[in-house]
Amino acid sequence: MKQDSILLFFCLLAITATIVFVWVFRSSIKAEERTPGIKNALQKRFWFLLILVVVFGIFASVTLPKSPYFAFAEEVPAKVIHVAALQFSFFLSEKSIDPKSPSGDNIELPLNKVVEFRVTSLDVNHGFAIYNPQMRIVTQTQAMPGYINRLRYKFTKPGIYHVLCLEYCGVGHPVMQTTFIVK
Amino acid sequence: MESLKLKKITALWVITILVLFLAAIVLGILMRLNQAEVINQEPLTFYTNMTTHGLTMIGIWFVAGMAAVNYLLQRYVKTSYTANLFAFILTVLGVVLLWLCTYLGKFNTGWTFLYPLPFKDLGAAPWATPLFLVALTILGLGWLVWSVSMMAKILQRYTLAQAFAWQHLSKQPKSETPPFILITMITLVGVIAALIAAVIVIVLFFAEYFSKGSFVNDALLMKNLIYFFGHTIANEMLYLGVAVIYEIFGELSGRPKWKTTWYVSLAWNSALIFILTAFFHHLYMDFVQPEGLQIIGQLASYLASLPSVAVTVFSIIVAIYGVRIQWSITNCLFFLGVIGWVIGGLGAVIDATISNNIVLHNTLWVPAHFHTYNAMGNVLFSLGFFYWFTTQHVSKLVISKLTKFALIVLIISGIGFLMAFYIGGADSIPRRYSTYPEALTTGPALARMGAYFACLYLLVILMFFYNIAKRCFAILSAPSSSVGA
Amino acid sequence: MLRHFICTLFFSWSLIVFGYGAPANLDEEQNIYAQIYNAPIKLSPTQAQVSLADIYNRKPMLLAFVFTRCTGVCSPFLLQLNETLRQISGKYLYQVVVLSFDPRDDVEAMQSLSTRLHLEKSTQWIFATTDSITALNLSLGFDPIWDSSTNQFDHEALLVGVNTQGYITKKLLGIRGDLELRQMLASINNAYIPSYRLPADNDLFSCFTYDPTTGKNIPNLGLLIIALPALVSFLLLVCIAFFSRNKAAKWTE
Ligand code: HEM
Ligand SMILES: [Cu+2]
Repeated sequence: MKQDSILLFFCLLAITATIVFVWVFRSSIKAEERTPGIKNALQKRFWFLLILVVVFGIFASVTLPKSPYFAFAEEVPAKVIHVAALQFSFFLSEKSIDPKSPSGDNIELPLNKVVEFRVTSLDVNHGFAIYNPQMRIVTQTQAMPGYINRLRYKFTKPGIYHVLCLEYCGVGHPVMQTTFIVK
Repeated sequence: MESLKLKKITALWVITILVLFLAAIVLGILMRLNQAEVINQEPLTFYTNMTTHGLTMIGIWFVAGMAAVNYLLQRYVKTSYTANLFAFILTVLGVVLLWLCTYLGKFNTGWTFLYPLPFKDLGAAPWATPLFLVALTILGLGWLVWSVSMMAKILQRYTLAQAFAWQHLSKQPKSETPPFILITMITLVGVIAALIAAVIVIVLFFAEYFSKGSFVNDALLMKNLIYFFGHTIANEMLYLGVAVIYEIFGELSGRPKWKTTWYVSLAWNSALIFILTAFFHHLYMDFVQPEGLQIIGQLASYLASLPSVAVTVFSIIVAIYGVRIQWSITNCLFFLGVIGWVIGGLGAVIDATISNNIVLHNTLWVPAHFHTYNAMGNVLFSLGFFYWFTTQHVSKLVISKLTKFALIVLIISGIGFLMAFYIGGADSIPRRYSTYPEALTTGPALARMGAYFACLYLLVILMFFYNIAKRCFAILSAPSSSVGA
Repeated sequence: MLRHFICTLFFSWSLIVFGYGAPANLDEEQNIYAQIYNAPIKLSPTQAQVSLADIYNRKPMLLAFVFTRCTGVCSPFLLQLNETLRQISGKYLYQVVVLSFDPRDDVEAMQSLSTRLHLEKSTQWIFATTDSITALNLSLGFDPIWDSSTNQFDHEALLVGVNTQGYITKKLLGIRGDLELRQMLASINNAYIPSYRLPADNDLFSCFTYDPTTGKNIPNLGLLIIALPALVSFLLLVCIAFFSRNKAAKWTE
């Protein structure tokens, strides 16, 4: 899963940073009474700054194209699912949802085909996060009143998917969820 | 050098902050215990606790930074005692009203009070939302007056160009701007911008409230404004802490004071712009926000970390590496805080990357990284300052065996408490859940681990509290002549 | 300082006074990405019938529904559509098919309609009738109601965007502005817009509108409000600096 590699990456970075700091700290503890410390510190700091800018530049140019906003933009979705979030439930339907009397259906989605969710909220801000059968987030968007967010995704594993609300929406927030089937 | 009056009001700030800190930590532990299903609170209780915890923590560590900067600013310019006192009174009043709102009125929107949640059925008293807005107004007013007054005092002594160290961009600067002044100025501008955003938000909320439904606000606009305020203020309070480190770290270690160079000036000046646009990263999952702003959000989030990390952290390393310095408790706390700050920053940069945010947004990864640079970063900066402030003497800050032990416990508790959050985030466990749905199997166990380690953290803070508060009371009760010796 | 505050407050207020409401028209969300019914249509009295697919396979299509005896929305709808499309000089391909949903209309009536609109020579515009209007309406969720007392259909102006594969990509009800029309042009050309606002009568307060023809976001007043905190604080800074200038001059070191 993507999340595992993120956690691993973070831990590696954190450990590296800690090692550097500990090493610096020990060098201070062990140092003789009168030593000058780092030479040409100002210059070294400048280079350090420059290297960081370059690293960030590379990181940004690698990750930015992977942003989700235009995922599957070229394709015509096989299905569009309308989503209306409401304190404290989700309505999913293949037809558009009447805000005055919202209702939903049981949803079954095709495997390996692009599906589009049109997500909105009928009251406050909500989240719309799709969890795979192993309960890891695979994709998400926000449900904002007055706006429709289009979220496209291609499911590659069959099973029961959960939808959880990921924006605090009141005391029922943690029970706000629904499921759909992919097969 | 520092006047007695200033010293007393600063001591008052310190005690108030620490008392509220202890209370808010207890709330935090209660939340974790509830998520662990060790205790069983009503969701409403959990969410009022959560709202109180968040608001209180942000409030106190912001004013902690402000009070410290105000105190040290006295070395360069004469600051206004009245503004300081005014801010203190309004802060206390505002916090009391906030607690009334949450505990009597059951106000529970979370500290970000996203529109239109405060107007919907919250299970709260009908007066809770207007009172909340009034409390925010009071806090905002107090802080705005305070920061504008500090800024005005700086600009009475330094020209605009000098205050921003622009002369350092030329080959031979004629005068030197101390880094402390530079960072304070940059930070104050950001603070004022954040507070003005808050003013606009409050006006829009009130307008809708009084119009009784004849017009409504735009949810996207309100979300942008709220995060402009919320993100920026939470970010700036770290920079206040950094300014303090710049000012006294060298002094405490018996090393030369840090200097402003052309790239230090450049880095901080550009940071101002980045800090004011980084808040867009809170809206990554709002696809309604134009893509351009999302990309600005990611780049600004990366770049905002440069002056802090590359300049500040490197300066600290230079001050220490291979040099025998005196390791006082203040130095140690600063050093530890910088480590926490860097690690939290790494977590933040990972989350501020849009392609990661899609699986991390509003999971426990978010409290994970901001608690890292707050509870193990900014808090330690402020505690370090509190220690130094209450003794004003390096020799009195030497580390005893007990303190060494306490610091080690602090590190262990921090790692345990935070790892529970990070692992939860990677496990897709949502933030702000009073209890976890059954399907999220690791949630409760991680919460228990977090709660227990947080208790250890609380113990260490209690010890620090005892040491610091004792001396603060001494300052408060001291007659005018004996203080400042 | 106070003055800026008052300005900010006033500015925000003056915007508020206009206010806006957002009655969402979710009918437009019906039948999106459904296949349009491939109706046989008649373009001229002389030619044989062709299928709708023959038309939209060639080029993405805007399908407008009217009837020639309409005394209401139909002709302003077409005039406005023509006018707006002419103003939009974008990169997107399109053709407009005007189809009658009134069984009483024949091809001649439609042709005289095109002449009235001076569109008879246009290659972009096609006027047609069909004998399968019920099936077509069903595939679109369009439901005009015959009112025998007025001898008119009770209906809304409907514009349907169809891409070259025959999928309905967007629907617009009523006479709508050029921005939404641009969005429709983008959508029939399969350009993806990650999000859009629900139709609102007055979106003075919103932050952005996406313009698909240029691919840029047009800032609305709301965006100005987002920038306001930064602008006001910079202004404040300059003012403070200005008023403190005299004292600063005394500083020597
Ligand atoms: C050891 C001390 C602390 C403990 C045990 C603690 C615990 C918690 C917990 C359990 C949450 C809720 C997490 C969730 O969303 O599920 C939380 C949220 C939060 N904490 Fe802490 N925390 C501590 C220190 C701090 C500090 C020092 C700050 C300083 C800024 C802070 C600021 C916040 C904020 C802003 C929130 C978000 C509240 C919201 O979601 O509205 N916390 N904390
Ligand atoms: Cu929710």
